[in-house]
Amino acid sequence: MTFMKATSVVLLAISVAGCDVPKQNKTVDNFIDSKHLSQLKAGIWVDPNGCDHWIIDDGVEGYLSARMDRYGKPVCSGVAQPNTASGAYKSGSPVGDII
Amino acid sequence: MSKNLLKIVAMAALGASVASAGFAGNANNTVSSSRYVPTVWVDPDGCEHWVMDDGAEGYMTPHVTREGIPVCQRGNTCAVMNSDQLFAVDKWHLNAANRARLQAFFRDSGASVYLIDGHTDSDASDAYNMRLSKNRAMAVASIAQSAGAKAQARWYGERVPVASNSTRAGKAKNRRVEIQCIR
Repeated sequence: MTFMKATSVVLLAISVAGCDVPKQNKTVDNFIDSKHLSQLKAGIWVDPNGCDHWIIDDGVEGYLSARMDRYGKPVCSGVAQPNTASGAYKSGSPVGDII
Repeated sequence: MSKNLLKIVAMAALGASVASAGFAGNANNTVSSSRYVPTVWVDPDGCEHWVMDDGAEGYMTPHVTREGIPVCQRGNTCAVMNSDQLFAVDKWHLNAANRARLQAFFRDSGASVYLIDGHTDSDASDAYNMRLSKNRAMAVASIAQSAGAKAQARWYGERVPVASNSTRAGKAKNRRVEIQCIR
């Protein structure tokens, strides 16, 4: 049963993603968790210096980008300990991590 | 086990077809390059990031101007305090009334951290104004800390005006302490 489900998921993924291979449109996620990238859900990763970065685990893609204040300086909010991630950064995709 | 293995196999199959992508040469450019057009993701602070999904890889980087300033649809600025109401000319001492006022502000605003940005008008030298805005921003930040809040002072002297320094009214507007409330 699990095997059947997994197989159909894989087939669906290939059929959906297959429409744009090699992938020309980088602005959308065409996998089974398909969406426009403006819909990504971020959490906060705190770097070893204590400064914030937006972290997004979107199924098979991972994203990381600096959180900056209006002058372009890093935001070091102290919302979490250094070397930790917090928030619902895995919530934007039903695709789990393989590892 | 079988589910994970299948996923890996599927990814490998996708990867193989993606890997056959060629490079689009450009006659005007000796570096061969592929077309990578990003879209915009807006972070919870309201600032933009360039983002691309390349199949099984994701890429993201902040959208900043060529001057290095983030492009934001809104910001976290929650107060702009006129320096004339907080400090005497060329000074950074806060009197009791202003200390109480600031303490109340920091107690009630509920941010996880406050970024305190000091600014001046263009009178006197750049170095003098950097020093003055630093001392004033640090004075306000120390009030935040005394109220139990986290705060970080930053200063820009006369380098980031919001109004013309050629009029009295403009100069008064430029003498300010901005507070960003980070939630």
